[in-house]
Amino acid sequence: MKKAPTIITGTVGMDAHVIGTKIVSRTLKDAGFNVIALGMQVSPEEFISVAQETNADAILMTSLYGMAELDLKEFNEKRLEAGLGDMLLYIGGNLVIGRYDPKEVEPRFKQLGFDRVYPPETDIVTVIENDLRKDLKAKGKM
Amino acid sequence: MKKLRVRNKKIDDDLLMKKRREELDKWPTGKEVDFDEAVAYQKSLPDSKIWWKVMTKLREEGRMSVFPRAGTPVLEKMIELCQGLRDSGVVLIPVTTDSYTRLCQYEKVEDILKECEKTGKPLLNGYPIINQGVKKTRKLVESIDAAFSPRGAGGEIAIASGMTTAEAGVGFLGFGSYVKNMTIQELVESSQNGMRVIGWYADRGVILCKDLHGWLPSAPFPLSINIVCMIIEAVTAAEQGQKALYPLVHCMGNMTQDLAWIKLAPRVIREYLDKFGYQDTMIIGTCPAQTPLFPVAMDMGGAFAYLCYASMVGALSKSNAVDLRSIDEGAGVPTKDTNTVSYRAAKWIFDVVREQQVEIDIKGIDTEEKVAETEVRAILDRILDLGDGDIVDGTVKAVESGVLDSPWSPNVNVKDQVLGVRDARGACRYLEFGNLPIPEEIKEFHRGKVAEREKLEGKKVDYHSTVKDLWSLSKGKIVGIPPYNQ
Repeated sequence: MKKAPTIITGTVGMDAHVIGTKIVSRTLKDAGFNVIALGMQVSPEEFISVAQETNADAILMTSLYGMAELDLKEFNEKRLEAGLGDMLLYIGGNLVIGRYDPKEVEPRFKQLGFDRVYPPETDIVTVIENDLRKDLKAKGKM
Repeated sequence: MKKLRVRNKKIDDDLLMKKRREELDKWPTGKEVDFDEAVAYQKSLPDSKIWWKVMTKLREEGRMSVFPRAGTPVLEKMIELCQGLRDSGVVLIPVTTDSYTRLCQYEKVEDILKECEKTGKPLLNGYPIINQGVKKTRKLVESIDAAFSPRGAGGEIAIASGMTTAEAGVGFLGFGSYVKNMTIQELVESSQNGMRVIGWYADRGVILCKDLHGWLPSAPFPLSINIVCMIIEAVTAAEQGQKALYPLVHCMGNMTQDLAWIKLAPRVIREYLDKFGYQDTMIIGTCPAQTPLFPVAMDMGGAFAYLCYASMVGALSKSNAVDLRSIDEGAGVPTKDTNTVSYRAAKWIFDVVREQQVEIDIKGIDTEEKVAETEVRAILDRILDLGDGDIVDGTVKAVESGVLDSPWSPNVNVKDQVLGVRDARGACRYLEFGNLPIPEEIKEFHRGKVAEREKLEGKKVDYHSTVKDLWSLSKGKIVGIPPYNQ
């Protein structure tokens, strides 16, 4: 049996909301993953350096305050420079300010390098079972 | 019986004055503050601008006001926004400051503020009170016949501008809900550094008011911990010279509990203020507050209903204010128009329900009040034991050992070993007690209530139930059975 994939979690930018990422972290742990929980207010640079140190297989980022796009402007470039192009990137939450259609927001975050983009109130168990396991298997990491 | 006391390192007057001036020197507008002139200006204010007097008058007249949130960077727009609030019946007006001001990044604010003024666009998410300074902010205060409260920042610029609330005491708001790395010792140091500004003004006959937040219950969780922390905040503020305060009571959506907590909080805060010898500190009202997750931005109907629920609880509990968000809370920064419709809805309830002076007697309020009161006393007794009579020393030890604990805190120095869930009636119960010193018979009461939900749902209540409950109120379904349409 391969060892459990390593997943990094955290809320990006200056966002102080923590409940979402705490739920993501605990549910991942319960599902048998090796979780590195960075908590709230994690800079894009911190995500990248921790991913390098731990050889992580995926980052599951959360954001609630609506400014994630600003926080992640140069993230993709930096993570590619850091040699992390093969790492899975998911993001979910309240991703822009105001009332919005999640379908319009998804392509904007895919442009920023994210493999999957989730609207508010997404069920994390479904994400893990339907998407994460499948994507990790496709990359030969599970 | 041990002697009750409140550790507080007071610095001498010369050092106090020096520190106040240093704080103001962080930005040029600080020069606009002349301490003696500020006292004279405060004394010249009409009663309608003095927070504690406005709340006292509301209570005496059996009326109430919304206490909203509002802030926009350009002065003229801010006046317009606040006038809109006043036109909707609001007499308690907040000045919500922007995030950069809260982080003391005044240079950054200055550039953005210039851009805001040039383009008329609100590029900051609040009113930058430090950069605007005293002269301009006085214009805001003088334009509208209401009392003003700075939110998040402001200090003596706000006081000199004629705002009539200020912070004091060991407050858990930031420590428990907004910061990642602060220790409880650091919190005590920063809030008890002898900057007894509130006391300095009180000595000169200017009474500044404060709201008590306690440790925010970020999710469905019994309110006892929060009330204990409001007591700690109240007595430590009183020790620094605070003469007027009131509790914000965080409503969780079970009406029986919400009403019980609104009755209990001011009663026990008064009792402990007296026990510690602060009989001259007034509690000038109660203010129910909306705390759990708000409906998502797209659900405007839900948002309306939620703010009307809080207004109704305020009206039925005969409170004199309600801390209310607008229907735009889930969408970001509220506009004048959404504020107006939101607060007119609240005012409708205040005018129709509050003024009926309804005497309600909901079965179960007494039980909930008794349960919460027993918990509050048990936790405070343990804190005072740990501190050998000193509430501040006890608090430090209590947080370090999880005797004071709350779920979902972003702070890595919090134990976070407790969890709450709703029961079969939507009331908040403990699922995990952690190290809280709750008496065994009260624990049994909670376990019994959780068991009723398990029977109703036909499955074990566990961590996933607590996660589901985070959305219970925002989705308009707090009782643990599936909605009819599912």
